[in-house]
Amino acid sequence: MKSTFTRRRFMGTAAATGVATLAAPSILRAAGEPIKVGTYGGFFESSFKEFIFPEFTKATGIEVNSVAVPTGETWLVQIKNAARAKTAPADVSLMAGIPRNNGARQKLFQTLDESKLPNLKNMPDRFQDRYEDGGLYGVGGVSWYITLCTNSDEIPVAPESWAALWDSQYEGKIGLLGLATNSFLLEVTATTFFGGTDILDTKEGIQKVFDKLSEVVPNVRLWYKDEGSFQQQLQDGEIPMGQYYHDVAGLAAAEGFPVVSTFPKEGGILDSGYWIVPEYANAVDEVHEFINFMSTPETQALLSRNVGTAPVINTDLMDLSEAELAAVASPLEPIIPRYDIYQEHAAWISDTWNKMIAG
Amino acid sequence: MQEGTRLTRSIGLIPSSVMIGIFFMVPFVLILLTSVSVPTADGDYQLGFSLEHFDRFASWFYIERALFSAGLCALIALLSLLIAFPFTYMLTQFGPRSQTVWLIYILAQLSLSEVLIAFSWQILLSRTGGIANILVWVGLAEKSFSMAPSAGAVLAALVYLAVPFSVLLLYPALSRLDRSLTEAARTLGASPLRTFFTVVVPVTRPAIISGGVTIFVLTLGAIIVPQVLGKPEHWTLSVLITDQAIFNFNMPFASALAVVLLVISASVIYGVTKFFGGKS
Amino acid sequence: MSGLIIEGVTKKFGNVTAVEDVNLHFKTGEMICFLGPSGCGKTTLLRMIAGLEEPTQGSISFEGKDLTRVPVHQRDIGMVFQSFALFPHLSVGENITYAMRIRGHSRSEREDRAKELLDMMHLPGVADRRISQLSGGQRQRVAIARALALNPQIFLLDEPMSALDANLREAMQIELRKLQQELGITTVVVTHDQTEAMTMADEIVVMGRARVLQTGSPMEIYKKPVDKFVAGFIGTSNLLPAKMSGENAVRVGSAELRVEHGAVGQPAGTDVLLMTRPEEVFVRPIGASAPANAVTGKVSFVRDIGATIEILVDCDGHEVISVLTPKDWPDVRIGDAVTVEMPAGACTVLAA
Repeated sequence: MKSTFTRRRFMGTAAATGVATLAAPSILRAAGEPIKVGTYGGFFESSFKEFIFPEFTKATGIEVNSVAVPTGETWLVQIKNAARAKTAPADVSLMAGIPRNNGARQKLFQTLDESKLPNLKNMPDRFQDRYEDGGLYGVGGVSWYITLCTNSDEIPVAPESWAALWDSQYEGKIGLLGLATNSFLLEVTATTFFGGTDILDTKEGIQKVFDKLSEVVPNVRLWYKDEGSFQQQLQDGEIPMGQYYHDVAGLAAAEGFPVVSTFPKEGGILDSGYWIVPEYANAVDEVHEFINFMSTPETQALLSRNVGTAPVINTDLMDLSEAELAAVASPLEPIIPRYDIYQEHAAWISDTWNKMIAG
Repeated sequence: MQEGTRLTRSIGLIPSSVMIGIFFMVPFVLILLTSVSVPTADGDYQLGFSLEHFDRFASWFYIERALFSAGLCALIALLSLLIAFPFTYMLTQFGPRSQTVWLIYILAQLSLSEVLIAFSWQILLSRTGGIANILVWVGLAEKSFSMAPSAGAVLAALVYLAVPFSVLLLYPALSRLDRSLTEAARTLGASPLRTFFTVVVPVTRPAIISGGVTIFVLTLGAIIVPQVLGKPEHWTLSVLITDQAIFNFNMPFASALAVVLLVISASVIYGVTKFFGGKS
Repeated sequence: MSGLIIEGVTKKFGNVTAVEDVNLHFKTGEMICFLGPSGCGKTTLLRMIAGLEEPTQGSISFEGKDLTRVPVHQRDIGMVFQSFALFPHLSVGENITYAMRIRGHSRSEREDRAKELLDMMHLPGVADRRISQLSGGQRQRVAIARALALNPQIFLLDEPMSALDANLREAMQIELRKLQQELGITTVVVTHDQTEAMTMADEIVVMGRARVLQTGSPMEIYKKPVDKFVAGFIGTSNLLPAKMSGENAVRVGSAELRVEHGAVGQPAGTDVLLMTRPEEVFVRPIGASAPANAVTGKVSFVRDIGATIEILVDCDGHEVISVLTPKDWPDVRIGDAVTVEMPAGACTVLAA
């Protein structure tokens, strides 16, 4: 219950914060003033303000102004509109996969200076987003896993594979995210049944994956867009199984609810927010300092312990205990979302998905 | 002289025209323009004329969604009127003080948002929530079960949402209804029930029709209830618009769907007032 | 027991008593007027006969059948409402035959009856019109026709003329009376207009403050009102303060008058009112042979309207009106001292 519900709320809050931020005029920042850092509104932003920004200011002397940003494409549109007026609504901000790809296509982000980011060496390549010419524009900030979660009262032995979603014994018992672009079930299906996400390279391949995925529909009780309502029903056992956020499920379990989060053997879905710098952001040096600071093992550990996110750097550089690590991540190879396909086949995937879930 | 008065009258109309223009016409024109915009190479869209988004709508899936939305909302309008009309009629027979208390209570119901109502019904219809357990308790069900998501749950919550509106839409006409008309019918040999159907209903028909249309249009815009209490096959066109606008960020397609929704609303309003509202 | 009988009927709305202990008995086929100022309870009494209100106490019966608890729609009545209460969603013809439709009469039967009733009400050929296309007078005729469509046993009218203008009103009063006599239907009309009551009624029931004050034929009530309220309400009356001075005599100022009607026989010295009607008192110049049974006064105004002449006489501070025909003209002028003759047969004693 409580704050965990508001973490990545997609409905109401996302739209509301979007409007609020649109209304606030962007002001050009003068040198020496705080930098404006955008994080997802709600639990994320308040955790960053409480645990992370003070450490950064202590380490560098640079003040931070926190900006709550909406998830989804709304934030990208705000950045784009600000760019027309040659300003930026934040100097640096978190942005998730699909909007980040779209923004990169429209060249809305600055190319970063890698020489000012020595900690980049801690980070796997998949957390470094580059333009076609090799220029770096996105650096991993936070990650989270979507896993297979079960109610242990109703399902005492948790399944170990995503294939359980297709198992007819769970008919009418499963809750899944309601959009292709936030459930990443195409990737899950591809990894589970087609040996990896490469099959998604072509439209024909995606169609095949859809055909397979459509077999889960009879098992699905709820295609949710609101995390809160699914979590409630998972805890109550109304819907005893489904995909859900690993960290929130862990918090629910810690509060005594019979909820178990399992990393299936095919891997959990690893979604991430990357730091991007809008085209007209100022204080470029300070922003580089910020991104570099965020990529240190110490900061990543701080995030894992306090915000519940998975590290974006190699975990052996960090001092997390086994239990602390298990609370946020898994050593299994994760399923990485193919953000690119949602850009290339946006309308077709959305239509096919809608038709599929409507039965 | 005539010219002068016409001029002053026109000037007098300017403030309201400007208001209406800014608050209603401008957004509408923007939606219209967006719905026919053309995509650019980098995934954005720009001013132009293309019917590709309407073409995308013209598939059975979306047409079926539009028909479902219209049918669902028509059913809700009908059900909420069926519940609200007799209640409102009885309400107008109460003393002025209890009428006021009831109206304040109903008005207060309107302050409940769709979100609140959707989630309250979700709890009410859940396995652990109220209704199923009451059924078990009275022996109508053997084991508690969940009633949501389902078509019935969507219907129940939306009717619940619409009934207070219906009452308030019907109240003015029913409270203005000349009591001597019903009394006259009684003296002419009609039972209270016959009086209700042969006098009260036909005399207040304009209010019933405009109330029904208002409820129809109002519920056409509901997005939370169908998502929280319904399965994907119960999602309305408004839900799909929200999906396209907020999650898929396909503003042109969202606008095209919104234009379709507007056309449906407008034709229902036109059709109903034309065919049922004409006589009196 | 035949006729319309109202026995011990009381109606209370909360703490307010609208009708108190009313006992009335009317013969079948009579035309009855409930007359009184607004708020006197006459409409409530009518509505209880209709069944639109239920008496708190007492009973109402017609032709020996107790109606008190019979629901409105089973009472076999026809009622015309003050607002006429015509159904706006129905045509004239459909309004008139509404009761027949309820009882399941066939369409052709209904159309024939509508035509017949409209002819009777002198409104031929309007059956297909909408109510909104009719004038006030036409609406009233339609309302009457609608109430009579099924030949009810009791015909009730609540202030039927109040929505009409003055000329139409008088014509309709006569027409309605004729219609009622033709049909021989027991009819109750509520009105606050005494001329209307006098024109139409067989029996007038004068009501005031929730009670029946007097019942009788129009002439009885005009000639022998039971108290000053009824006297004041019906026609014009001259009221002079007086004292009983004998069995059949009162003293007004210094004059002693014989009286024949009213509360005679009270002890000498009791304060009473002497009532006379203007057309029954005669003004004469002083000096002519002094008449018996007269008071003196001074002419304060003369109004000659051709057919009649009104003379206002100031009698010791109280105004007395005399209405004369021109042939009785006494030739007096304003300021003249006169005697006003009040024959014993025209004098009524009322309680002060």
